[in-house]
Amino acid sequence: MAAEPSPLDSDAIAQRVELEIERALKRNIKGLDLLIADREPVGTMPKTVIHREGTAVLYRYEPVLDEIYRVPLLIVSPPSNKGYIFDLAAGQSFVEFMLNRGYDVYNLDWNPPRRGEAGLGLADYVDRFLPDSFAAIQEITQETEVSLAGYCMGGTLATIYTALHPAAVRNLIAFATPIDFTHMKLFQAWADKRYFDVDLLVRELGVIPADVMLGAFDLSRPANRTAGRMTLWNNMWNDDYVKSYRMFDRWAAETLPVPGEYFREIITRLMWDNALAKNALEVGGRMVDLSGIACPLLNIVAQHDHIVSHEATQPLMHLTGSKDRHEIVSKGGHVSLVAGPAAVRRLWPHIDEWLGVRST
Amino acid sequence: MSNAPYDPLAAWQKFVQDWELEINAWSGKFTESEQFSAIMGQATKMMLVAQRTVTDQLENVLQSLNLPTKAQVEGLSDRLDAIEDSIAQLRIALDKLAQDGPVPAGKPEPSRTRKPAGKAD
Repeated sequence: MAAEPSPLDSDAIAQRVELEIERALKRNIKGLDLLIADREPVGTMPKTVIHREGTAVLYRYEPVLDEIYRVPLLIVSPPSNKGYIFDLAAGQSFVEFMLNRGYDVYNLDWNPPRRGEAGLGLADYVDRFLPDSFAAIQEITQETEVSLAGYCMGGTLATIYTALHPAAVRNLIAFATPIDFTHMKLFQAWADKRYFDVDLLVRELGVIPADVMLGAFDLSRPANRTAGRMTLWNNMWNDDYVKSYRMFDRWAAETLPVPGEYFREIITRLMWDNALAKNALEVGGRMVDLSGIACPLLNIVAQHDHIVSHEATQPLMHLTGSKDRHEIVSKGGHVSLVAGPAAVRRLWPHIDEWLGVRST
Repeated sequence: MSNAPYDPLAAWQKFVQDWELEINAWSGKFTESEQFSAIMGQATKMMLVAQRTVTDQLENVLQSLNLPTKAQVEGLSDRLDAIEDSIAQLRIALDKLAQDGPVPAGKPEPSRTRKPAGKAD
């Protein structure tokens, strides 16, 4: 058995000092580089715009295999965030992984809504942008069924769509998807019905700026930003760490504004009334009944998600009509769930295993 | 007593982690209070009032300096949006024409016959 190093082992101390000096030098050099660096490039897989309508933009990623699964996969981004979180960089891209596993991958992504789009509401997303995306995919693939995946509020939209259009959805994959909004504790407190004047906010601003929501995220974890920078400094010598940090930082900084009417409906109908979990949500004149979701369903939750808790997702496991429901609780937080190290190593292979047999 | 050599960097990292946890835990408790909700509601209103006041005053200043006002820039932005939309539609239509032509552009569509290697769980 090897001897334990002594706390006063001079060789070990010398080696450590040498290593730290080397890292300190690298930190200083790379720290300066970081200050003048351009934005970290993201989104590596070739893609084509196949449909565009104002804020909505539908991409098709170029298939990489000659033989792919019959059922296409459509990923719905949350309206407040860019979809490149699914395609950050080579080796850290869910899209790349799924393309290499033989899927035909599409992404319904969002541009910042324009002033004229302030009136877009849930019905526009669920009864217009999603059906139009399905039609565009069908035109290319001739397939009438699509596997639908959504992240955060993109998952909520995908769930509502599936409940209203069950025949079109072959499988539903929900990443950190809030359904029971009584468990969205931070947002409940932030948008407390007694004090939060959502009508005034929407009337004055029209399109709700990203800062309004980013402020709420920062309040939930006020130390994260500073601690993140301190940890970044410690790891400045490590190129992989810095690259990854910068990609996530860019994604967070590029949070999108959202249409005022959509924001108002999220606050009043979902947050205050919890209408989706109560099967009391009306969209485009129709009631959204979660029991109408009969397709295979995969609920993916992050173990340490401080935004969408496990409880907030549970109606997917209890109120939907699907007989084929599975849940994965993955290590990580709200963002690392879809692109962090645990996702790359374990979650994505699980998704492929689950989806492949349901995509023929 | 541990025999592991003292590692100042590890100690620093642990300090940062503990500090982060402590601050976040404190914030978590505060955000659960009604006081937080009341402050946030009031802060949002104040932000809107301040924004409205600044916008109105700035609009007058810009006009007197003969510079484009917010409303004029927004009008310009709307026109640019419309042009951007048209270009996007044209590009999609051209891509589709090329794909539907006698010799389809780009790679041929892959066959949709793939079967998974494993079995369903």
